[in-house]
Amino acid sequence: MLFSSIPFLYYFLPGVLILYFLVPKALKNTVLLLTSLFFYAWGEPVYVLLMGAGILSGYVSGLLIERFRGKCASRVFLAISVTVSLGLLAYFKYADFFIESFRTVTGLPLSLLHIALPIGISFYTFQTMSYTIDVYRGDTAAQRNLIHLATYVALFPQLIAGPIVRYTDVAQQLSQRTHTLSRTASGIRVFVLGLGKKILLANTLGELCTVYQESQDKSVLFCWMYIIAYCLQVYFDFSGYSDMAVGLGRILGFEFMENFRYPFISRSITEFWRRWHISLGSWFRDYVYIPLGGNRVSRSRWLLNIFIVWMLTGLWHGAAWNFVLWGVYFAAFLIFEKLFLLKKLEQSRILCHIYVLLTVLVSFVIFGAADTGSAAETLGGMSGLTGLPFRSPEQMYYLRSYGGILLIAMIGATPLPKMLLSRLAERKTGAAAINIAEPILLAVLLIISTAYLADGSYNPFLYFRF
Amino acid sequence: MNEKTKNLVTVCLMAALLFGTAFWCWIKEADAYTSGERRTLAQFPKLTAEAVRSGDFMEDFEEYTVDQFPLREQLRSLKAFTALKILRQQDNHGVYEYEGHLSRNGDPVSEPMLTHAAERFQYLYENYLEGTNVNLYFSVIPDKNYYLAEESRHLSTNHRELVESMQSKLSFMSYKYIDVSQLLEAEDYYRTDTHWKQECITDVADHFASGMDITLEGKYTTEKLDIPFYGVYSGQYALPSEPDGICYLTSDTLSRCIVTSFSTGSPRESVLYNFEKAEGKDPYEFFLSGSEPLLTIENPHADTDRELVLFRDSFGSSLAPLLAEGYAKITLVDIRYMQSSMLGNFIDFEQQDVLFLYSDTLLNNSLALR
Repeated sequence: MLFSSIPFLYYFLPGVLILYFLVPKALKNTVLLLTSLFFYAWGEPVYVLLMGAGILSGYVSGLLIERFRGKCASRVFLAISVTVSLGLLAYFKYADFFIESFRTVTGLPLSLLHIALPIGISFYTFQTMSYTIDVYRGDTAAQRNLIHLATYVALFPQLIAGPIVRYTDVAQQLSQRTHTLSRTASGIRVFVLGLGKKILLANTLGELCTVYQESQDKSVLFCWMYIIAYCLQVYFDFSGYSDMAVGLGRILGFEFMENFRYPFISRSITEFWRRWHISLGSWFRDYVYIPLGGNRVSRSRWLLNIFIVWMLTGLWHGAAWNFVLWGVYFAAFLIFEKLFLLKKLEQSRILCHIYVLLTVLVSFVIFGAADTGSAAETLGGMSGLTGLPFRSPEQMYYLRSYGGILLIAMIGATPLPKMLLSRLAERKTGAAAINIAEPILLAVLLIISTAYLADGSYNPFLYFRF
Repeated sequence: MNEKTKNLVTVCLMAALLFGTAFWCWIKEADAYTSGERRTLAQFPKLTAEAVRSGDFMEDFEEYTVDQFPLREQLRSLKAFTALKILRQQDNHGVYEYEGHLSRNGDPVSEPMLTHAAERFQYLYENYLEGTNVNLYFSVIPDKNYYLAEESRHLSTNHRELVESMQSKLSFMSYKYIDVSQLLEAEDYYRTDTHWKQECITDVADHFASGMDITLEGKYTTEKLDIPFYGVYSGQYALPSEPDGICYLTSDTLSRCIVTSFSTGSPRESVLYNFEKAEGKDPYEFFLSGSEPLLTIENPHADTDRELVLFRDSFGSSLAPLLAEGYAKITLVDIRYMQSSMLGNFIDFEQQDVLFLYSDTLLNNSLALR
């Protein structure tokens, strides 16, 4: 079930909120767990058992790791737990990818398993792993209450699209959380803004991307329009979904980490990845990069660590070679920046923004391509060296039709609107105007988003495949 | 208003909106049909263990909740308003408004679709027409968008390219192409619909008559139906639009014509102008009762014994009566609604005039031809 869908907004969510706020405190997690399992089973009736197995494995492992803390057995149970999580991920997400790659290299007639990817498996397995690793490291106590742990893993706001919530961040909130008017209002605000980002911006930009993909009449201008639209679509799709998760969490008394912080204003790729999908970046940093030695090793080992982490980051996004290439592409830039470029980038503010935007745009050509061939085709088209015309009447039409939304999206991807509002709020009359307008604008945004849904607009969620 | 009041108003307003709408969704009785989109609406799906296991129930339930959402038509209008007037998009679901006309962006010429249409025509030719003394004619009706798009800067199907491509694909038969594109303009079509207006195509009928060497007196009285006609684009566009009116042409000859429908396989008396259909879901079905696989119009007082077989889409419904004067019998065949292989049971091709008359839109999306 998508957050940006009528069944979620007007059937599931109101039902959950009524139940959640009606039951006594002691039953709130039970309500959240049961409704989250229902939420998951709605899209994956069979795979809910798989998630249940993952939760149970994490729960038992956590207890055993703590029970045998300081002993060899503790390490064994951690290894078992991580192996189970990675095993689930490897089998359900990567098995066919590995088989196909092996088949291509060896020429052996192996048949694919054709396994359907369980929704959200990349998120909940990573959460389970972070829990057992944190227990092993002694960063947190093992959770003795199965319902609490299951609620943490299965909690519907972050279950299928993140952010990847660390157990240590919400451990306290699982047993003790407060619900206040200001937090609820703030949660509603973040949720509705995320919904608007997803439905009005990401989905509309997605229509333009579809037009490009289906068109036989490409041009240089069209290639650029496509990749700008695609880049913004992914950003608003994912950050919108993250916002909705954060907002829902806040309404339910949880505080999830911010997942995006205006990545397109970055002045280096290093900074970009501190602002884009923050929960994933920090997960890989804490559970892969630092355990590998981070930067406190020899230079060659350090570079290898970066390479490994980014190859895995790419692979996390999808079981295909273009995702691996995407990760390696960023690894190359990050290494280059760390070795040579960062200091030079500080010299020109404009050039470093151009550098980041171009690098990111090209990365999304790789990210969004069906295969490396079509990525090369789009890159060639963007370069203007493949003989494509600069523009055609058809593309000028799409530029007119989607120009407004592209402009809004580009401005919306910067902190400019927030800065303007902050400036306005500094004045007494401005603050009063914002206070009056805000609830009304939120209601209007919800109604317009609902109108788009009722119109049956284009609505897939891009990150489902992860 | 201070921060605390703002938070209170936010929570109360949004809660009222969320729970109020949700409650309405839960208790609202399901509608059966949407006139705006001219389709039946999804109903609550059957709940079975298999449907749940396969995920079909969830998929159907989502469709049901969207289709049955309270005030859906108004919300569709709000969406269209947001897209067209606020975000300044050029069309809503491909439909746009220009100088009072609603029209749809045209698709690029689709060679596979034209090939499919040509293959169906080839089947007809090889099985029924080849070796007979029939006179073959072919004509393509431009989409209304063809006359609007250049000025309104929207996308249109390249009519000339489509015709040239189609002609090259029909090289297996010898025929005369009758070009009507110069005789038409946007005003000859309904403002809210894809079809042409019967009262505006008498010159088109004359042109066909001249092309097929028949004589039409062409004296008609124009009558107007007392119903508003919201064409197919009206519902798709979703913003309020003024309705069209439906006019139709009558004459002594037309009043004496005998119309026979073969939609059930056996002959059944029908009418040129179906007043019951005019009040139905698609008032354009007023002309020759809409979707009919096989119809004949007999003109008992014709000065000739010539016959016409018209392979057609819905545009033919309003044109055929205007050709009735020139023929003793017109047989209208719509191979979207009948198998071409069945045609031999109903028509003996000998020396009739045979006209393939199709619109740009149908040829460029021809999978319905059977």
